[in-house]
Amino acid sequence: MAGPPVLSYGPVEGHPGVFFEDLAVGQEFTSPGRTVTETDIVIFAGLSGDYNVLHTDAEHMKSSIFGERIAHGLLGLSIEHGLASRGEPAAAHGVLSGLKWKFKGPIKIGDTIHVRSRIAAKKDGPDPRCGLVTVERELVNQLGEVVQEGETEHAVERRR
Amino acid sequence: MREIPTATAQCFFEDVEVNVPLKTPGVTLTRAHVALFTGLTGEVAPADPDTVPSLLPLSLSSGLGWRVPRPPLVVLAFMGFEWRFLAPLRIGDTIHSLSRTLTKRSMREGGVVIEERKVINQRDETVQEGKLTLLVARRPAA
Repeated sequence: MAGPPVLSYGPVEGHPGVFFEDLAVGQEFTSPGRTVTETDIVIFAGLSGDYNVLHTDAEHMKSSIFGERIAHGLLGLSIEHGLASRGEPAAAHGVLSGLKWKFKGPIKIGDTIHVRSRIAAKKDGPDPRCGLVTVERELVNQLGEVVQEGETEHAVERRR
Repeated sequence: MREIPTATAQCFFEDVEVNVPLKTPGVTLTRAHVALFTGLTGEVAPADPDTVPSLLPLSLSSGLGWRVPRPPLVVLAFMGFEWRFLAPLRIGDTIHSLSRTLTKRSMREGGVVIEERKVINQRDETVQEGKLTLLVARRPAA
């Protein structure tokens, strides 16, 4: 995967990070993979306080359409965000300003997911120091199924 | 529906009331929350240690949503959402969430509920907000 390494909270150590001008519409990125474990789900339940039986009661879920516990949708999105930070250029100064997201299928314990992303649009924002970058994203499992998809909007600082 | 909520009471699609505001208790954002969250997600930790990752308050709002004066909604699936990040949050800020059902639509398998949700800080400023689409179970036939 060519292109500048790492749109997150800050540049990787030793790398200055990219600016709005460095990003081009059509650039594509693929993240590393990550296997989602029971531990991930338990930690997210404890951290968020969302103990919905979907994520925490294996016996109840045996009789559900999923047949087993599934990861919280927002856990999948959060992991997506972490994976993306390892597979996309980090903005020198950038913040997430909005997102539109669809949960299309379950993430089950043991599934391995990765992110495919593409810079879809660049435009001016309300703050003249930053431009807005729209990134289309797909979270893909080991079977090639898109389990989550959507777009994120990032305010990325311009060069001065 | 004004019964005292218990661990076994549940709010089904039929019980969902449109336009009734639900306010959660607050939670103070700590370094421990950020360490757990960045460790879990694997994202690059923010250079400024007082920065709160944008998706953390959203994630906390889903747990806070269980702590309202209404039995838990029987969510079959979280279908999608739109969200705006309006202002940054810092360690030490205290957030709560305010939500209401905008619309409910009956489906064969259950019902679709569109919820408006705001994350609000200790100065009563809305820092994040959006609309969530949930598939909610019908009350089983008695």
